[in-house]
Parts: sequence; structure tokens; C-alpha cells
Amino acid sequence: MTAPSAPLLRAVGLTRRYGDFLALDGIDVALSRGEAVALTGPNGAGKTTLLSILAGVTRPTDGTVEARNGRPGWVPQGPSLYGRLTTAENLRLFAALEGDADPDGLTADLIARADLTGFADQPAHTLSTGTLQRLNLCVALAGRPGALLLDEPTASLSPDQRHRFWDWLAELRADAGLAVLFSTQSVDEAVRRADRLLVLARGRVAFAGGPEELASGAASDPAQAEAAFLRLVSDDGP
Amino acid sequence: MLWRSPATVALLLGYPILVALLVAVALQTEGRQPAVALVNLDTSGTSVRVGQQRLSVADYTDRLAEEVDLKPLGPEQAQRELEAGRVAAIITLPEGFVADLRSGLAPAQVILTTSPRQPIVAESIRRRLEAAVFRFNQSLAGEYVANVIALVDLVVNGGDLGIFGRSVEAIGLVRARDLVQEVQATLRQRGDDEVADRLDPIVTFIDGAAANLDLARPAANAIRSPIELEVNEEARGSQPLSAFGFAGALVVSLGLAGALLAAATLSGERDENVLVRLRRGLVPAPALVGGKVALTAVACMVVGLVLLALVALLTALAVGRWALWLPVLLLAGAAFGAFGTLIGAAARDSRTALLATLMLSVPLVAVGLIPNSAPADVVAALVPFGPAFDSFQTLLVEPEVPTRVLLEMGHLALLAVAFGAAAAWVLAARPT
Repeated sequence: MTAPSAPLLRAVGLTRRYGDFLALDGIDVALSRGEAVALTGPNGAGKTTLLSILAGVTRPTDGTVEARNGRPGWVPQGPSLYGRLTTAENLRLFAALEGDADPDGLTADLIARADLTGFADQPAHTLSTGTLQRLNLCVALAGRPGALLLDEPTASLSPDQRHRFWDWLAELRADAGLAVLFSTQSVDEAVRRADRLLVLARGRVAFAGGPEELASGAASDPAQAEAAFLRLVSDDGP
Repeated sequence: MLWRSPATVALLLGYPILVALLVAVALQTEGRQPAVALVNLDTSGTSVRVGQQRLSVADYTDRLAEEVDLKPLGPEQAQRELEAGRVAAIITLPEGFVADLRSGLAPAQVILTTSPRQPIVAESIRRRLEAAVFRFNQSLAGEYVANVIALVDLVVNGGDLGIFGRSVEAIGLVRARDLVQEVQATLRQRGDDEVADRLDPIVTFIDGAAANLDLARPAANAIRSPIELEVNEEARGSQPLSAFGFAGALVVSLGLAGALLAAATLSGERDENVLVRLRRGLVPAPALVGGKVALTAVACMVVGLVLLALVALLTALAVGRWALWLPVLLLAGAAFGAFGTLIGAAARDSRTALLATLMLSVPLVAVGLIPNSAPADVVAALVPFGPAFDSFQTLLVEPEVPTRVLLEMGHLALLAVAFGAAAAWVLAARPT
């Protein structure tokens, strides 16, 4: 795994209230070059709220977010694309909106790297779920970000699509030093795909550390990791 | 993105044209006369002399035919046609109609039988025939009064009087007074003053009668027409009623299509989850709203010009001032677009946005078309449909245009900015 370096994305004391409901309570996050951090926790723990604040979609009630190398790339839970536009047109449009000097060149590069060549002229609404998610990720990369935020990126993918998706993301991290923060409901996926884990429960950080620390050195055992996760997020947990 | 969806483009162009056509058809239907059966039971073939005119049943029915589409039928057939709905009413002229008109002892009657199945048409026919009977009575009264005035003139000034085909000279009051005074003068010359003085009451009577008969003339004229309506129309362009209808059709079609298009484009981006990306600093909310408003303005201008060109080519309505139509259509489209964008920004999804746009726009368009109603005027001034209708009508009807149209264009621009700013604020404040 890649060693952490100077943070590309740092958030301090993030708090978000919706009326009387406290969705996030003083969360600190730091994301370094090439690092993969998994954000996990039960439903309503605040994962999507935290990611949307880091992405700049939602304003925090309190706290600050600092990003180096421009704003992070953002892959929301569902596809966020113009369904009537083709794969290439979507990429060209978002590259232009991101202010890229060569939208056509970047589009061709992303299509080649994501293995979307056969789908370049196909309208987005006709693409399969897996292909659509690759395009969704490409759109997030159209701003040439240093960090990438993904909200449950594999939730709707089949096992083989999930496998290809993680392989490609690993390439991106290795080639471009991309820092990745992804949320997932799967403890197994978090343990296997991340350098570090951030477990949220009731808007607070219940655990922050390496996969091996989660289950006291037994991270390779999915059952033990899941049992440790359940202890962390239970009402009696820390 | 519109060119990727031919059905949307077709709807965008076809919907306003369809609405305009429907409104045009409705306006044409309004001018059509209802079918009414005429049952004439007065087969005497006689006529009545009124003044210098001789009137028959045909003269009377000709007057009625100006108001309704008369179909001469027998009594049974007329009843069958009424029951079948092929005529909306039956007018019956009973036996002795002309005789009653001639005698003047009892008013001549016209019987109207309407269909209970067509109450609105029946009411319209009743009002039309009341107006026709009133006008016919007035013209008859005019003839009678003219007759009376001629007789008064004969009594005062004298002249030929026709009795049983023979002409007799009536001397009249003026000549009678002269004759009496000549006789008095002759008697006084002969020294018979007493007899001459005994004729003085006759002269006094003649003077009094003449003076009173002079008053009869204006009094008779007043009876003929107690109240006269004088219509002073301002100088106007051609066919104000058609222009009113077409201006209404333009507002209904462009207003609804424009507001729906703007609401759909913005809420469609929310449906596709694209707003999440765009709102991350890629496109500021005012620019997002401005894009939709500009698209709607251009679409309304193109569709509006197509409709105007069709009207100019296919109808008698005079359409000109093309240089003014261009900015007016653009500003109206921008105002419609800003209005729709505000709804699109506030709505959760496309379906809600489109439903809300329709539910709000339809009554507001109607309010914009209601003339001279104080509460409606206030509401109409706050939304783009009323000012757009006013500007369209001004361009179609008013002979003198610029100042008024400039004010209306300013009003539309103000509404476009106000609704656009509100939409941008809602878009920025509302969670995506």
C-alpha cells in the first residue's frame, strides 16, 4: 500500500445539523497522495453527508475543508450524467466546464483508459450499470483531481464489475497518485480495498485506523472484521 | 441536449402551434350563427303598410335571419329537428301574424321554442332574437311616428290629403288663420266691428293649436328613440377582435410552452443527478438559471415568429412591426422562462415541476386575459402572462406603438430579472 504523505484533502471539526438532528459531530479527515480510505458505518451514520461536504455539495454547519490540487473529484451514489448525451459528449462537456485546456484530448484519454471506446458514441441512458459507473468515474476525473470521493461506488455492480472497478481504481492510484475516499456498506470491501478505515456511528468517528487494527490483527478474517465492526457501531459501542 | 430528443423538440414546436390552432378554431366557432327552424303558419300572403313601406312576413323573417341561421320547416319536421339536436330552437309565426300587425289591436306574437338540451345556445338565441325584435319594433315605431309627424304637418301647413283614392286639399291652421283674419279685416272696413271681434276666439284657438302641434314634432321624435347609443370608437388597427384572439392564443401557447420548457430543463437536470455536479462550483446558480431563461427566450421567439408568419400568410389579420416583435417575443420568452425556472428550482423532480407549472400557469394566464378587473390586474402585473398579452395586443391592434410597447417590454424585462433572481436564490439555497 502507498504510504501517506502531505494531505491533499483535510477537514477539521466538520459538524452538520439538520434542525435538531446532528448528522455530523466534529469530524476530522485527512487524505494523502495515493492513499485509499474507506468510510463505513450503518445507515444514517453520516457517510453521505460527510462526502457531500468534502465534495462541496453541502455546506457544513461548522468546521473547515481544505483541498490542494483543485477541488476533489466526486462520484455520487447514482449516475450523474446527461442521459441523452453520448459517453464522449458527457466527458467533453464536463471537461470544458472544469476548465480543461484540451477537453477533446482528455476525453479521448479517459475513454481509452476506462475501456469505453466501444461506447463512445452511445447515449449514456443506453449503457449498462457497470459501464455507466465507469463513465461516472471518468466524469469525476475530468477535472484532473488530486483526490477522489466516491459514495458507495460498487453498490449496484455485479461481482465481476466490482472486481474490474477496483482494479482500475488501483491503477489510477498507482499511476497518478490519486487519493481516494470511498464509502461502503461492506466491511469486507473496506478492509480489502483501503489503506485506512474510518467508521462512523451516529455522526461521530467510532474508529480510525488500519484494517489490521479493526480486528486486532485479524483483518484477513472477514468474520472477525465484521464482528469488530458490529461492536463498534452498536448502541453500547465506543 | 434538445437535438438528442426529437420527440421533445416536436412537442416544443407542436404544442404552442396546436394550442394556437385550437384557440383560433374556438374564435371562429364563436362567430358562427346557431341553426333555428322557422315555422310560418301565416299563409295569408298579406302585407301591412307602415308609412311609406309595405311589410310582409318575408320582411320580418329577413330581419331574424341576420341573427340566426333560419331553416324554413313545417311544424312536425321542426319538432323532429329540435329533438334530434340539428336545430337549437324553433321560431313560430302564428296564423294571423300580419293581420295583428296591421290592426294594432293586439301585439303580433312570435313564439320561440328552445331545446332544454342546449341551454347555453338557447339563452344566446333568446338574447339575439330579443335584440332583433327590439330593432324591428323600433323601425316600425319610426315609420309610425313619421306618419304622425306628416299628419301634424298637414294639419298645420295644409296640403293634399288622400281619402278613398281621391285627393282633397286640406287648408291647414296657418291658412285658416289667414282666412279668418282677412274676414275680420273686411268686416271692420264695413263697420261691423262687433261681428269681427266675435271671430277673435277662433284666431286664439288656431294660434294655441299650432303652438301645441309644433311641440308634437320633437315629442314624437323622442318617443321614436327615447335613448340613442352613440358609439365613438378610437382609431384602431384592423380587426381588433381577431387581434385580441390571436394575442390570447400567443400568450396561452408561448406562455405555457415556455414555462414548461424552463421548468423541465432545470428539474430534468435534478432528475439526472447532474445538478449535484454542476452546483459544486462548475456552474454558478445564476448562470444555470440564465442558460435556461436564454434557451426559453430563443425558443419562444422562434415559435412566436413561426406562428406570426403563418397568421400573416393564411389569414386576413394584418401582422407587421417585425422589428418590434423580435425583442417583445424574446423578452416575453425570457419572462416565461424565468417563471418556469423558479418552479423547476423549487420542485423535487420533473413530474412535480411540470404539474406545478401547469397548475399555476393556466389560472394565471386566464387572469392575464381578463380585462379591467382590479384584483386580476394586480395579480396579472406580477406574473409575465398579463404584460405579454398587453404587448402582443398593442403590436397587433394599436396604430401608435412605440412608447407603450417600450413600457411593456420594460415590465417583461423586470419580471424576467425578478423571477430569474428568485430562481437562482432557490437553486443555491435548496439541497440538491
